[in-house]
Amino acid sequence: MTFDFEATGAGRAAGVAQVPECGRTDALSVPATIESLEPVTAFVLRLGKKARLPETSLYRLRLAADELATNIVLHGYRGEPGEITVDGGIDPGDVWVRFQDDAPAFDPRQGMQQPALDVPLAQRQIGGLGVFLAFTAVDTFEYELVAGRNVSTLVMRRPTAD
Amino acid sequence: MAFDVRLKINDKVATIELKGELDASTAGEFHDTVGRAAGAGAVELVIHAEQLGYLSSAGLRSLVFARQKMGDEVRIAIVGATDPVAQTIRLAGFDHSIELVDA
Repeated sequence: MTFDFEATGAGRAAGVAQVPECGRTDALSVPATIESLEPVTAFVLRLGKKARLPETSLYRLRLAADELATNIVLHGYRGEPGEITVDGGIDPGDVWVRFQDDAPAFDPRQGMQQPALDVPLAQRQIGGLGVFLAFTAVDTFEYELVAGRNVSTLVMRRPTAD
Repeated sequence: MAFDVRLKINDKVATIELKGELDASTAGEFHDTVGRAAGAGAVELVIHAEQLGYLSSAGLRSLVFARQKMGDEVRIAIVGATDPVAQTIRLAGFDHSIELVDA
């Protein structure tokens, strides 16, 4: 699989050119560090605003992207130098954000833990909480291993046009 | 919005005012403030969150830290959290141990 942004964008945009911002894709590459979470957030917020997501959807997409990026930095690369590539696009029905990294193969969903609601907070094991939040915040959370790269895609539905 | 955390202690009640975004880059600062509240022997911790625009799992972890650091008998309340912030706290089930109070 190759990532040809132009072709993907054009394909996705076919026949929907009348919908504002549709078919548009943007991409960002950042080092896998905590400092990079800020540009990733800015990227996602910009995309979500362009797609005219309502405030709550925008908040949830941001939360999911932030948690996923944090997970890649802390549990994927584990302090080793690396890069995260983020791209995203707007379709008639949804907004998608895709993360790619070259950390060891890891499906973030495997580390996910449902909060143990019946255990007092002071005794809680809270690993996996970030991925749980990411998973529940968006409409779709997909993971694939593509040619040795981790590829996670978040999808948030857009409100239907009147 | 820039992150800001302020602590006031008045008659064993610690009040923390949070502004901005509580995430992986700012949770440490909040953590330290909670530590100071616990160190001062506060018996109640009130966190004003009216101006808290964003809360991630890193922020939730510092709430767990607050719960552990303050001890079971200390009431912890979060006042005036916006809907998405309150929803995140509920989703993680933290509202069982930390009171969510309307402003």
